[in-house]
Amino acid sequence: MPNTSTPFTGRPIPRMEDPHLIQGQGTYVSDIHFDHQWVMALVRSSHAHALIKDIRCGTAAKIPGVHAIVTASEYPDLKRRLPGMEPMAPPILAYDRVHYVGQPIVAILADSRYIAEDAADLVEIDYEPLPAITNAEIAARDENLLHPEFGTNVLEHFEKQSGDGVQALRTAHHVVNATLRMGRVSAQPMEPRALAAQYDPSSGELLVYHATQSVHRAQERIANLWGMDPEKVRVVAPEVGGGFGVKNGSYPEEALVTYLAKTLAQPVKWSGDRFEEFFGTYQEREQVHHVTLGFSQEGMIVALHDTYYQDNGAFAGGGMLVSQNTARNIPGPYRIPNLYIEGYTVMTNKVPQAPYRGAGRPQGHYIIERMLDRAADQLGWDRLELKMKNLVAPKDFPYATGIEGVTLDSGNYPRVFQDLLEELDIDAFRMRQSEARQQGIRLGLGVSNSVEISAGFGFEGVRFQLNPSGQILLTTGATNQGQGHRTALAQLAADALSIPMEQVTVIEGDTGRIARSIGTFGSRTIIMAGNAVRVAAQGFIDKTRAIAADLLEAHVDDVVFDNGQFFVKGVPSVSHDWKALADAWQSQSHPEWPTHEDYFSSSSATYGFGSHGVIIAVNPSTAAVRIERYVILHDSGRVVNPLLANGQVIGGAVQGLGSALYEEMLFGPDGEPLTTSFLDYRLPGANEMPDIEVYHRDYPAPSNPEGYKGVGEAGIIPSQAIMLSAVEDAFRDVGLRLDYAPITPGRLFKSLQERGENA
Amino acid sequence: MVAINLTVNGTPHHLDVEPRWLLADVLRENLGLTGTHLGCEQGVCGACTVLLDARPVRSCLTLAVMADGAEIVTVEGLAQNGQLSAVQNAFWQEHALQCGFCTPGFLITATHFLSQNPHPTRAQIREALSGNLCRCTGYQNIVNAVERASAAPVQVAKAIASEDGN
Ligand code: FES
Ligand code: FES
Repeated sequence: MPNTSTPFTGRPIPRMEDPHLIQGQGTYVSDIHFDHQWVMALVRSSHAHALIKDIRCGTAAKIPGVHAIVTASEYPDLKRRLPGMEPMAPPILAYDRVHYVGQPIVAILADSRYIAEDAADLVEIDYEPLPAITNAEIAARDENLLHPEFGTNVLEHFEKQSGDGVQALRTAHHVVNATLRMGRVSAQPMEPRALAAQYDPSSGELLVYHATQSVHRAQERIANLWGMDPEKVRVVAPEVGGGFGVKNGSYPEEALVTYLAKTLAQPVKWSGDRFEEFFGTYQEREQVHHVTLGFSQEGMIVALHDTYYQDNGAFAGGGMLVSQNTARNIPGPYRIPNLYIEGYTVMTNKVPQAPYRGAGRPQGHYIIERMLDRAADQLGWDRLELKMKNLVAPKDFPYATGIEGVTLDSGNYPRVFQDLLEELDIDAFRMRQSEARQQGIRLGLGVSNSVEISAGFGFEGVRFQLNPSGQILLTTGATNQGQGHRTALAQLAADALSIPMEQVTVIEGDTGRIARSIGTFGSRTIIMAGNAVRVAAQGFIDKTRAIAADLLEAHVDDVVFDNGQFFVKGVPSVSHDWKALADAWQSQSHPEWPTHEDYFSSSSATYGFGSHGVIIAVNPSTAAVRIERYVILHDSGRVVNPLLANGQVIGGAVQGLGSALYEEMLFGPDGEPLTTSFLDYRLPGANEMPDIEVYHRDYPAPSNPEGYKGVGEAGIIPSQAIMLSAVEDAFRDVGLRLDYAPITPGRLFKSLQERGENA
Repeated sequence: MVAINLTVNGTPHHLDVEPRWLLADVLRENLGLTGTHLGCEQGVCGACTVLLDARPVRSCLTLAVMADGAEIVTVEGLAQNGQLSAVQNAFWQEHALQCGFCTPGFLITATHFLSQNPHPTRAQIREALSGNLCRCTGYQNIVNAVERASAAPVQVAKAIASEDGN
């Protein structure tokens, strides 16, 4: 029967993932139980910087139910450096020196986590404390070295220049300077990191359940580290409870669990707890920028100069990417003809940095947006007009920003920004703002524009398989941490094969099911795997036409596929659907079902765009910020499922509001983290978050066949910029200037106190 | 070991537990009910919320021995005879979950809340959910879902009645 219904793609279809998740039937790593598994707990460093003088485990080992106490001196393999952390990687277990509070030193394997933690409490470690280095700018002077063998605390120093660079500032009519800071944030997915591994000595196969964003990268790391054939390492990401970038990197726990499972030939499981998320999971954001922005007399940007320092924590890892990506994002959607940006990525005695949702995008946009606000305030211009006149216009596309590989290509930034301003009704707001001020109520407006640079490297693939009754199995190596790709990819596959969505099953994140993948991060999966569905579907149809040709007793070249039916060209009255093909295949007793695997590669990034506006009310006596209205105009490119796309944008925006208003990892002068629970590190909650209005202005991406753009990081990009902007606006008349994100109630209270603005 | 009796989702269980074991661990490890999630074990995130004698409690802050004799409802007990509850269905339709890790706690909290306040305002819903953390959704669709479920009071009342037991 011909299928003439409307396509699934583009419709807000509730997720296929949900029925089992809402009944408590989702399997996360912590739910996996191997028979006779040993559970791992870690003894972590309580010092930020110290020499380890002695480790005593004797009493711990005597606890019944404890099976092994693992140190790097007992198991010298664990002195190896973690892969993927070049050029300065930590050993898997610290043994002579520790570089951050939380660094693993001893692993304990026991029958249960209760027993393992009892044993961990009894391990005694003697430290000789060393001075902790906790400030990146000071660390960059190399007066005290974290890693004497590395010779410097500076992991990387880079420069990016376009036009006349810093020279061009001389020709600027106006020049504005500022030092802008961002505190450290932590991703804190609700599911802590976790791994469970089982080794089969007879086959030499290692099965690893891993809460990871990239199963194939994990497979490669594990195989390389332990000298195994990658074919013998199967990594499966089951349900993953949020990732946001921090489940993508190389961690000591991954090396430990896989090593111990293999070496001891015993199933080993580690489910991290919330403390470990604060002590051991990589963090982000902490940077200080010294910025100068030059303008023509008319208010057009002439040049930007920025020297910044990223506090990268104790080792390398993904932090260098964050630092580089910050530079890529500093121009944002604005025309900046001359740029000079230099970044220092510097090691300190803190948890290492790695990409967290946004990964440099929020940082870069924070700089340009805050500088434009600052310039407007200092030079007496209107903030909104200044932004409008410097936006890249459609006639400028393709617009090379001056940063290598970043060429803005689509959309209509000034139009979308104008639509935002109309939606917010700026004139009405200004009137309301001044009326409210008479009554002691402080209202503030913040606006911010951002581009979301997504994908732009590598590949992703999918594999189609025909199954009994014409069911279609679609497999991809990209992983899921809640994005809902299973639904989105099923929508695309169903349309490509002209079948109902129920006929498609999608399995993600299993190296045993598809040869290659890169993974889910950087808002890339729909762009890459989505396009791969189209490519692979064509190949799959071409292959299965041969089965149809048999059935139709025709030459394969004469068989066409249209609207879910295979038939001989010109004779649609005799046709076979997927079920008929499957039945025929089954009756011929083939050993395997027909499959087709294909990949989509692209080195062109996509450029989504967003204009965000927020209206807040600040209580001057308590410094409490209430969000009255949050409006997003967003270019998501071609949207596969608006429910999912909006979910990403809104979820990202709220996560960003956390980092703008509440969330900050604080450290004492000795490098001791002070915020190690949800009580001290406060996530945004339902009560203080607004209903966010999202309006679409979608322009298909010209750089990929299906026109998809990333959406995963869009929401979080402007949060810190826009919130500081709005709070300043609320106190515009007294010239409040904020140079540090987040603007926590405590920090705002102090700023207001200094100005005598709170009673 | 201490012997305790728990009725979980209508099924009676006789268990030997260590006094220090958390109710969450006993549900997950001993009874295999892994739908109850541990997000923090600090009493803050609410992912571990279950109904204990029809009241929501944090099973990470409750010792299993304290629940002796109690009727427990976990997320696995919300659907009846293979039918999703009104709250579950609303979560599905409104896209109120992404990774799903926080979801069991929200479902239990919302189910209890609607039994106490069947026609809440949006602000009351936000207030009621303020003890549960979600890192993915930004809460908005969860609030939508609770609002949607509140428009179906008959089914919700029925789900609660069958959970109450005594
Ligand atoms: S796990 Fe119980 S409140 Fe978070
Ligand atoms: S859906 Fe992921 S934490 Fe709520």
